[in-house]
Amino acid sequence: MTHLSLNNISKQFANNMVVKEFNLEVEKGEFVSFLGPSGCGKTTTLRMIAGFEVPSTGKVTLEGEDITNKAPNQRNVGMVFQAYALFPNMTVAQNIGFGLKIRRENKEAIKERVAEMLTLIHLEQKGDSYPYQLSGGQQQRVALARALAIHPQVLLLDEPLSALDAKIRVSLRAEIRAIQRKLGITAIYVTHDQEEALSISDRIVVMYDGKIEQVGSPFEIYNFPTTTFVAGFVGTLNTTTAEVVDPATHLLRIDGVQLQAAEGLDDKQKGDKVTIAIRPERLNFIAQEKKANIMDCSVENITFLGSVVRIQVLVGSNRFYMDTFNNPFLALPNIGDKDQVTCSREAVLVLRQ
Amino acid sequence: MKSRGKVWAWFFIILGVLYFFLPLLATFIFSLKAKLGVLSFQSYINVFNDPKFIRSFTASLLWASLTIIVGIVLFVPTAFWVRLKVPKARTAVEFITLIPFVVPAIVYVFGLVRTYSHPPLLIVNSPLLLVSAYTILAMPYLYRAVDIGLRSIDVRTLTEAAQSLGAGWFTILFRIILPNIRVAILNGAFLAFAIVMGEYILAQYLAKPAFAPYMAVLIQNRAYEPAALAVLSFALTWACMGIITLVGRGSGQAQVGGGH
Repeated sequence: MTHLSLNNISKQFANNMVVKEFNLEVEKGEFVSFLGPSGCGKTTTLRMIAGFEVPSTGKVTLEGEDITNKAPNQRNVGMVFQAYALFPNMTVAQNIGFGLKIRRENKEAIKERVAEMLTLIHLEQKGDSYPYQLSGGQQQRVALARALAIHPQVLLLDEPLSALDAKIRVSLRAEIRAIQRKLGITAIYVTHDQEEALSISDRIVVMYDGKIEQVGSPFEIYNFPTTTFVAGFVGTLNTTTAEVVDPATHLLRIDGVQLQAAEGLDDKQKGDKVTIAIRPERLNFIAQEKKANIMDCSVENITFLGSVVRIQVLVGSNRFYMDTFNNPFLALPNIGDKDQVTCSREAVLVLRQ
Repeated sequence: MKSRGKVWAWFFIILGVLYFFLPLLATFIFSLKAKLGVLSFQSYINVFNDPKFIRSFTASLLWASLTIIVGIVLFVPTAFWVRLKVPKARTAVEFITLIPFVVPAIVYVFGLVRTYSHPPLLIVNSPLLLVSAYTILAMPYLYRAVDIGLRSIDVRTLTEAAQSLGAGWFTILFRIILPNIRVAILNGAFLAFAIVMGEYILAQYLAKPAFAPYMAVLIQNRAYEPAALAVLSFALTWACMGIITLVGRGSGQAQVGGGH
């Protein structure tokens, strides 16, 4: 049975429809990220699961129970906020035990659970500290422990790492994922950071303008984006318009150069215009004789990015990025060099609009 | 140039201090002259031995305490709700809270007497009316103090965090919001206390025992005792201000935020 289900959820504020016909089923123990730019409706959707917003239409079901109109304090849902939201008047231990105290659990049980949670977040010595005595990363770990202490049916995380610096963000996201896996808890994670979503999730829901653009594993979202928005939002991508030459053989043309895709032209006619995308790392200079997908180019720019070197080439009137691993023993081309680039058929992605 | 400016600054500071403290000092010295030819605390002893003083002072203490309680019960949930649910109404609510500054107390008291001196609302003789009136009078100080306190914490996120952990409105208000704005509430409460302790018109026209009307009567009949009372009033107000400063400086207000 599906653990959490969002059926046809919409949310309207005045005349503004911020979430449109959102459908999603989440399995128990799954880590799902809502990824999208600001204002795409991801936080509103999360808030509808938490109960802070009531959907204008649709239904939220948790373990088979309809919780659409249930008050937030009646749902067994843990939430971690971007601004930590620790209670400043309480110690770390009191913060973690707050939910259990509300549930009128006995003192010993609370003490035991708080100790367990402090061990889980590696802050055993900080139980008596006040939130203002902790760093941002520590505060967010306490917030996570507080949300988990109540044994929630689902854990909601609303951009929990946005207020932290880059290094702590990376270590804490790994910690969150490890804790989620250890406890086997279902988690919904809101972020606008694609790297965060790709690294932490079982599945990613990419949202734009209140709608789901694509749902898939990080691998699918990155390698096989299905819409122009997803292609542009997740990672760096070369996109251009191509003309369909032969739908049966998936043959396309860009600026007089013929390219072959592996799929995606079944419903197209000869002469149709389509948007295609190629990841920079799927493009290569031709090292050996190749018969298909050969594009004459000139090197326009070379950018050193550490482990990767990004080369900008001009193919006809299209500027493409090409990423190669940084190998100090291989010579890089020079700006202005004429060369040829190629990619496999599978690398040519035909996007839905 | 710079040192000349400093001299002028000091000149005005000293002028200000003299302007405020000389009359007080003169009053204090005058209050010590109740016994001919010697300085003594006789006038203070006379005041403390007067049963009317005890009665009026304790009555004012009671009115002030009740006003603070009613004020907190009314204004904390209101300010909390406005900030959380109807932030757009904040300007309108702030304007309403300032009305007691605009309406003179004498106009206000006549309005109260006319409205509440005949059935069905015949409560003009009830202490309830006086406390209600004082609550309105203290509203600008108390409400704004609470509102400033709420501004210093993230009300929405703290409320939602508490809700997600299962807390209801009562718990949120008493265990999360109130403890985090207690210094602001104390500030407002002491200001309200000082206002009520020195208020004359409402108590006089609603015919209730209070400290200020007692002082007014005393001024007409005695010489040194009113001076002693004036000094005591100042001492009381300063004690209130001192407590506000002490509590504010200490760990009363929970600190928000943290390093990274």
